[in-house]
Parts: sequence; C-alpha cells; structure tokens
Amino acid sequence: MTKEAYLIIAIVILVALLVTFIVSFVLYRKTPVPKGCENIEINEENCSHCSHKECSHFIKRDEE
Amino acid sequence: MAREKGYTKKNFLKGIIIENPLFVSILGTCPALATTKSIEAAIGMGILFTVVLVCSNLLVSLLRKLIPEEIRTPAYIVIIATFVTIVKMVTNAFLPELYQTLGVFISLIVVNCIVLGRAEAYASKNKVFDSLIDALGMGLGYTLALISMAFFREILGTGCFTFGKVFTFIPEVSLRIIPKGYEISLFQTPVGAFIVFGVILAVLAFIKNRKAELKENLARQERIKKQQEAAAASAAAKANAEGGNK
Amino acid sequence: MNILISFLLAILSSMLIDNVVLSRFYGICPFLGVSRKVKSSLGMGVAVVFVIVLATVICWPLYNFVLVPAGIPFMDTVAYILVIASLVQLVGLFIKKYSPSLYKSLGIYLPLITTNCAVLGVAQGNTDQGLNFLSSLANGIGTSVGFLLIIVVFSCIRVRLESSNVPKAFKGLPIALIVAAIMAIAFMGLQGLFSGIQL
Repeated sequence: MTKEAYLIIAIVILVALLVTFIVSFVLYRKTPVPKGCENIEINEENCSHCSHKECSHFIKRDEE
Repeated sequence: MAREKGYTKKNFLKGIIIENPLFVSILGTCPALATTKSIEAAIGMGILFTVVLVCSNLLVSLLRKLIPEEIRTPAYIVIIATFVTIVKMVTNAFLPELYQTLGVFISLIVVNCIVLGRAEAYASKNKVFDSLIDALGMGLGYTLALISMAFFREILGTGCFTFGKVFTFIPEVSLRIIPKGYEISLFQTPVGAFIVFGVILAVLAFIKNRKAELKENLARQERIKKQQEAAAASAAAKANAEGGNK
Repeated sequence: MNILISFLLAILSSMLIDNVVLSRFYGICPFLGVSRKVKSSLGMGVAVVFVIVLATVICWPLYNFVLVPAGIPFMDTVAYILVIASLVQLVGLFIKKYSPSLYKSLGIYLPLITTNCAVLGVAQGNTDQGLNFLSSLANGIGTSVGFLLIIVVFSCIRVRLESSNVPKAFKGLPIALIVAAIMAIAFMGLQGLFSGIQL
C-alpha cells in the first residue's frame, strides 16, 4: 500500500475515534442513572480530587 | 471604566495568590512533583503550560457560542490536545534538552485539571480578553509555584543553582550555595518532592491559621473595647443622672 | 518459559521498583484525593486497572500500525486522549446501562479517569520508549496494579491519620504528603530487587 492510503486510513480512524468519543459522551450523559444509584455523589469530605469547583467533573455534576 | 480596569487587575492577580492552582486548589500536582528537580525545568514546564493554557482559553472563548452545550468537554479536550501537540513539536525542534528533561510530562498537560477546568469554568462563559487575562494569571501563578518548589529542591539537593543546562542558549553557570559534601541528595529524589510540597502546604496552612487567629483576636479586642466603652458611657450617664438628681 | 518469566518480572518491576505514584508521579490527584476511605480507593483503583490495561492494548497497535505507517506519529497524544476518553465513556455507558451494582461502586470514579495522568502517561511512555507489545502490556498491568496497591495502602494509613494528633498546620494534605514521602523511601529500598536475576 502507498503512504497516501495509510494516511487516509489513519485520518479515517482518528475521525472515527472522535465520533465515537462524542457519541459515547452524549449517550453517557443521556443514559438515566440506574435505580438505586440516584443519590451517589462524590462526597467532598471523602474525595478531594478536584474538589475545587473548577474541576470539570464537578461543574458538570453541579449543573446536572 | 474604572471598575473594569480594577476587575482586569484583580482577575490577573487572583491566579497568583488567592486561587493559586497548585498551592490553593491543589490541581496539577503530577508535573509539580515531577518537573521541579531544577529551577530551569520548572520554568520550562511553567512556560509550556502557560502557552497551552493561554491558547486553549483564547480558542475556547472565541468558540464559546459555536460549540454546542452537549459536546463541550470533547471539544475542549480536542482543542487542548491539539495545542499540546503543537507545543510539543516546537519544543522538540528548538529546545531538545527541555523536551528530554520534561519527557512525558509535556504530553500530560492534556490531562492537567487546570487547563480543562479553566476552559470549562471561565473561558466558556467569559469574553476573549478576560479569558486571556485569566489564563495569564493562572499560568503565572502555576509557574511561580513550580519555581518555589524547585528552588528548595535544587538548593537542598545539589547545593547549587545551575543555569544553562536545559536552556542551552544561555551560557552554563553554576552558583554554589551549600559547600560540597553537605547537600542532601534526597531532595532530588521523589521523596524530596513529596516532603517539599507537604512542608510548603503546611507553612501556607500555618499562615492562614495565624491570620484567622489574629483577625479573631482583633475582633475580640474590639468587642471588649466597645463593651468597656459602653459600660463607661452608661456609668458616666448614671453618674450624671445621679448628680442631676442631687 | 523465558518470555513468561521476563513478562512477570517486567510487571513486578513497573509495579514495585518504578512505582507509578511514588517514583513516576502519575496520578497524584486521585492518589491524594480519593484515598480518604479504603472502599473508595479500592473502587478507583480497580477502575484505573481496567482502563489502563484496555488503553494499552488499543494504543500500542494504533501507534505502530496506523500512525507510524501513515507518517503522522506526532498525532499520538491526540489519538491516545481520544482513545482513553472514548474508552472511559463507553465503559461508563455499559456499566450504567447493564450493571447497576457495578455502577454503584465504580460509576463515580469512571469520569475522573479521563484526567488521570497515569492512563495517558502509560500509553505515551510505552510508545516514547519504543517498547514492544508484550513489554507495553506488562508495563500497563504493572503500573495499574501498582497504582491500586499504593492507593489502597495509602488509604489505610490515612484512615489512621484522621484520628491521630497532628499539628494543626499539617492537618489534611500536608501530613498525607509527608506520609507519601516516607512510603517513597520504603519503595526506594526495593530498587535492587531484581538485580541478581539473570535473564
């Protein structure tokens, strides 16, 4: 195979990865939390990982 | 306009002291421990970090109305990763020694909580200029924090300050502070990184506690003074009233 | 047989000698953050093991069979972060949908793994050093299990620290960092562990 073919394949794969990421991200956010797990939250007392409001995950959680 | 001016200054300075990403928010600890063996490496890491932060904040802020709410995080991750790749290639081309010293940690700027955090918390909601100032302040704050850690680790660990090893465009200078044989090479190892970081955090906590205590003391003294004054005033009024009665 | 032994040795050495947290400084954030309780640190650790091993298995072929032949090896960081992030989201999605019990114990840690530098660090380190697939896999397994080990041990110590009498200024993170330093000293002692073994 020529180099161009490889390049095209690589680009296709990268784009596919990006699409997978976006789709799974949106799906993950849209999937309802299973029963019995609604009240699980990161307890700031127990988890100070990025407990600072700036951490992206915290912001998202706050918004949800 | 005057208020706006004050805001910009405050916005810039908050990243350095009040909201210092490393010492106050405890974010981005991995590079802080790994790249602070020497002051030069710390400066290099700080500069690269600041460049990525500024670029990503600018772009995120520019695109904030174009990116749909749903896919914000993926978009930000891709933007940050792109800038990191660019920075990586530029470093590799022009400062190969710095690239060697920092190694994987240049790539790891992608997963640095500060960059993504600033993009989500600040740049996605604010104007381009404000985001730029915010990024500059945060970047400078982080760089200064790295340098302060590297300062102790380098002087205690090697006994001297060495410049020119990583930034090869300046002549190599070595300034010995601690005589040879008295340096503690432990501080160059991971152990020293943890100790220095822990002690710095403890000192900051001590200062904070002390300030709070002083404030409380002042407030208490003021309260006592006021009570005494009030008591004296009421006593005086009483005496006056009694005098009037007589 | 020789391959198996060297595989196991590689796992052990990246787990103990070159421990991910204490000597390579990956994943300090969750190490300091999610380690207040043994249970939560166990959850985080297991999730990290899962994601790191999967990411290693995907990222190595992606680099060597796709990016390098195409002549764009500099895209590695972007590709890896995409792989890791989609992996995390897909695993999260699967767990959320089909296994509520697993979601209960691991669910909240999964999103945090995207920004755990251990995952990207391992993937990037494998290809930067030019390791072959088996060594990469050994590195992935060893690193992640080392992370699990260290975070669980650390959380056990921290539980004791909570109830001990610590100077006011050292309460919380500072004393945890000092403890980490002492643990790092202990792990430095393992450095010569395999020096006598000839392969």
